[in-house]
Amino acid sequence: MGGTATAYLTGFGRYLPGDPVDNDGIVARLGGDDPVTERIRRRILDQNGIRQRHYALDEHGEPTELNEELAVKALRAALDDRGIDASELRMLACATTMGDMLVPGFASMVHGRLGGGPMQLLSASGVCASSLAALDAAVSKIRLGDHPRAAVVGSELPSRSLRQRRYEGIRAGMDAHFLRWMLSDGAGAVVVEFQPHPDRPSLRVDWVRQVSLAHEHEVCMRAGMTGEEAAVGGTWQDGSIAEADAAGMFLLRQDVGMLDDLARAGIRQFEELVDIGLVDVRHLDHVVCHYSTNAFRDVAFEALRRRIPTLDTERWFSNLETRGNTGSASIFIALEEAWRSGRFSPGETVLLAVPESGRFSFAFAHLTVVAPPDPEPAGQGAST
Amino acid sequence: MTTTESTATAPADTLFERLAEVWAELEERLAQVPVLARLAEGTVTLDDYKRLLFNLRQQVVDGSPWISRAASSFDIDHFELRSAAIRHAEEEHRDYLMIERDYVAIGGSLDELRAGRKNLGSEALSGYMFHYADRPNPVGLLGAMFIIEGLGAQRAAGWAARFQEVLGLADNQVHFMTYHQQADSEHTGNLEAILTSGIIDDAGADEIVRCAQVVARLYALQLEELDR
Repeated sequence: MGGTATAYLTGFGRYLPGDPVDNDGIVARLGGDDPVTERIRRRILDQNGIRQRHYALDEHGEPTELNEELAVKALRAALDDRGIDASELRMLACATTMGDMLVPGFASMVHGRLGGGPMQLLSASGVCASSLAALDAAVSKIRLGDHPRAAVVGSELPSRSLRQRRYEGIRAGMDAHFLRWMLSDGAGAVVVEFQPHPDRPSLRVDWVRQVSLAHEHEVCMRAGMTGEEAAVGGTWQDGSIAEADAAGMFLLRQDVGMLDDLARAGIRQFEELVDIGLVDVRHLDHVVCHYSTNAFRDVAFEALRRRIPTLDTERWFSNLETRGNTGSASIFIALEEAWRSGRFSPGETVLLAVPESGRFSFAFAHLTVVAPPDPEPAGQGAST
Repeated sequence: MTTTESTATAPADTLFERLAEVWAELEERLAQVPVLARLAEGTVTLDDYKRLLFNLRQQVVDGSPWISRAASSFDIDHFELRSAAIRHAEEEHRDYLMIERDYVAIGGSLDELRAGRKNLGSEALSGYMFHYADRPNPVGLLGAMFIIEGLGAQRAAGWAARFQEVLGLADNQVHFMTYHQQADSEHTGNLEAILTSGIIDDAGADEIVRCAQVVARLYALQLEELDR
């Protein structure tokens, strides 16, 4: 007897605030219309390939929603998709890079707004891969039989801190601009259960794997510190807020020079999954991959194709170009869209891949599409 | 309890042989119980398991109270039986909480479970047990224990394993049934010690067998009458 249950993804939801914003609509929301910024923005947009995205900002750049609201809307969409109510959840795992406030944890705020009954919470912080860390926690508890039903949400609202007022008078090099013109808002959610959906296909979670290589890499993506190393007295919490602000500590930065290393390390992690047999290249049908910018799309795609010669663009899914880079939300937003597109058939397998630049983390999940269970046999309920 | 001979040719059957016969009859009857038949053939549903837990809980919650009542009905000449009953009541009186955990772990509502009522079979079984426990020195209840603990020791773990296999349940969702394999094996061991200790006379043996017959029938009835 295995002793564990199986975890299935049975409901999918997403929420993208407002209308899509094309590349010409960015300035109205985030500002930065001086010629230098304009030039940088064009160059970065050319690189990352994002054509449209969503911001929880109105056309004047004023915030319209909280991050916790995006999360709740994605959760409600996933619950509706599954046809259940929040009161049926026993666990909620939330991933975000930054919640709306410092304290309490993001999941507490999401639960408070979502409602439902008593439930276990997890606030997974980090960056993009925190999405799959949250999924892993929920899947593990489902498999243990501790909970029958959980929900996982990845949610981001970086736009408000990417606006011009945060950059005025602060030295912001390429490290800050790169993310400023790349990140956008959104939330994606899944429902996890120990039984498949009764009358629709589900995604069985075969495994989730997350590994950090922070032991051999410096910080790549950061906020709240100066330089690349954390130092006593040198974090945003040590001096006055004004000093930290003036030092540019509140800008989200990425050391773009490390990104080629990141791509190489991510590919090695994938190779290892193949080598140890967690990914069977003869039976891998779909790949849903998160990457921050199209520059890495071809690198990742070619690397995977070296091991999976049959991988073609039909089996590769990303919606970066149309939904933007939504950090920890992106893998769920992509999975939701891929799922709804009807491209997955029962028996097929799906690999989710999420590299995180923060300090070199990599998360993967392997899913199998399962048909709904057979209808209940006749003669059911003989004693009723 | 091994093999059982035909009673017609062996009028002087021992108490164990007579109980074994009751047990064999119970096994035949259980095979006909719809939910257990579906379990055996692998067509059982999660809803079946949920209903089973729901129905069992309403009767199991009475288990310790009737054993306690029986303990208070034993006089000083039956001191050993009183001691055994007191110990047993203590061991059993949180068992229903295990069912509640399992029920919640498969998605059931604790409020609904606690607001539930006994089914027809459970009403009959529970009523009979309380009635019997009220009698002075209710020695016959050893027959009831033989059936109920025997089901726990010999059948429950098999049911649990089969539910896990068919429905993909985790260990954490079948506590009640798996726990009873160990706990009730101990209890049946204690029971055998009492039955062979010489404190049971012929009249007592007749009472034990009769009570076992009634409880076996009512227990099966409880499983047949799910939700009714």
